[in-house]
Amino acid sequence: MAEMTKKISKKTLAKSFRNWFYGHLTCFSQEHMQTFGYLCAMLPIVEELYDTPEEQQEALSTYTAFFNTEPQLGTVIVGVTAGLEEAKANGQNVDGEMINGIRAGLMGPVAGIGDSLVVGTLIPILLGIALGLSSGGSPLGAIFYIVVWNVLVTLGMRFLYYKGYELGGKAVEFIVGDQANAIRESVVMLGTIVIGAVAASWINVTTAFKMLNADGGTIIDLQATLDGICPKLLSAATVMLCWWLMSKRKISPTVVMLILVAISLVGVLVGFFDPGLSY
Amino acid sequence: METVGVNLLQAILLGLCACLSSVPGMGGTVFGNYTLGRPLVAGLVVGLIMGDITTGIIIGAAIQVVYIALVTPGGTVSADVRAISYIGIPLAMVAIKGLGLDPASSEGQSMAIALGSMVGTLGTVLFYGTATVNLVWQHIGWKAVEKGKLRQLYIVDMVLPWISHLLCSFLPTVVITLLGSNMVDIIKNYLPMDGIAMKTLFTVGSLLPAVGVAILLKQVVSKPTDLLTFFFGFILAALMGVNLIGAAVIGGFFAVLFYHIKMLQLKKPAAVTADAEFEDDDEEDI
Repeated sequence: MAEMTKKISKKTLAKSFRNWFYGHLTCFSQEHMQTFGYLCAMLPIVEELYDTPEEQQEALSTYTAFFNTEPQLGTVIVGVTAGLEEAKANGQNVDGEMINGIRAGLMGPVAGIGDSLVVGTLIPILLGIALGLSSGGSPLGAIFYIVVWNVLVTLGMRFLYYKGYELGGKAVEFIVGDQANAIRESVVMLGTIVIGAVAASWINVTTAFKMLNADGGTIIDLQATLDGICPKLLSAATVMLCWWLMSKRKISPTVVMLILVAISLVGVLVGFFDPGLSY
Repeated sequence: METVGVNLLQAILLGLCACLSSVPGMGGTVFGNYTLGRPLVAGLVVGLIMGDITTGIIIGAAIQVVYIALVTPGGTVSADVRAISYIGIPLAMVAIKGLGLDPASSEGQSMAIALGSMVGTLGTVLFYGTATVNLVWQHIGWKAVEKGKLRQLYIVDMVLPWISHLLCSFLPTVVITLLGSNMVDIIKNYLPMDGIAMKTLFTVGSLLPAVGVAILLKQVVSKPTDLLTFFFGFILAALMGVNLIGAAVIGGFFAVLFYHIKMLQLKKPAAVTADAEFEDDDEEDI
């Protein structure tokens, strides 16, 4: 095996990480989503590892292939390729095609895990707590979210980048291994509980439907009856309806919103819904 | 009744925030989309710009529930936060104050949610607009790679997209928030509160947060028993009066238990192999 004579300097790694951290999505198009962010992350590394412009151009061309993943968790992939590129520059048995194969193979699974973990769980948990802190219009919740999210995700991305660089393919174990999977499932469970509480605290669907007798006295006050069974029953029912439409009937969120507009209109016309306002 | 509106300086600041906070935004995803773009944070920022933090936060929080989980699988968006946060929230503030509603009341919140979400659909257009204009810069980028002018990639990735945002974030935000200030009078003249249109609008506002929660559920529920976890959290808050921080702690306790059970299962001799597979639904995030 060839001697590792070329080594990426700390400064260059930091620059590569910064470029990815900031620029992974700034030049987004439907055709090449994170490709240019990736190119900018690899450019400092390529410039350091290869001497001639021709070599640099050749090395960078590896990363012109389409790339898109969940960008926070996906940082590990950038780290892994930084390590691979270093190995390649040292004449080890690594070529551009192999790097691209690994990249393409990782971006799908990492996107799936990252979507459910970062966007589907971490952010909602933080926002759920922040909403609680901000009730009544206090800025505390917003400030809590700004600080905690930015610190957590910046440290997390940095950790993933350097772990990816140091461990190469083994770093992927961090993300798809059994222990990581157990952590992920636990965190998702926490997220689901918090989201249940968010739904109960922030969704407020009520009915104005009342059955009156001839003298105008109330026979049935539907909202009071429902509250007697379980508070917020209509809110839960609305969530279940939307969930069922989206996951079982495969209807897009936008169309579900339109369906809710139709339900509202009909509900208002028959007197089921009435916000009871006037100027 | 006090008159409220958006002045030019405020509109420019809102436009700048819109550039930073959209999905392919100039603030980067960490600080842009996932911080400035969240309606709760935007509530604070817009509140600062408009000079009423409390109202801004109340409205931002209400709208936040609808967009609590904006997952964009494969680069498709159902809503882009720049329009929700920096057009929707300011207009909702103007409307609620102009109509004399109490922002903290359920009517005020329904109004904010309905208005914010309607404006939010505009964000989808802005999103695809930005992505399309970016194709021009990417084209320049490919030329630069071909010619070996690699350093130009930085300009392509981090500078030129500002032009896309000037067109698709800044200008629309400035124009709409300025024009929207007159909206309140139009609403008052043509749409009475007890009319069907406004009743429907308020009702839609009360129903919409369910969509946000359902989007999230779709993401995390893989088997029917997972719904039980959701209802556990729901009952904690609805029936037992636990607040969100309490629910997070209780949820954390169960998550730790669950983790230990899972790890015990893993320590058993590798008899079950099916566990090793993890489900991946081929979703890609942008």
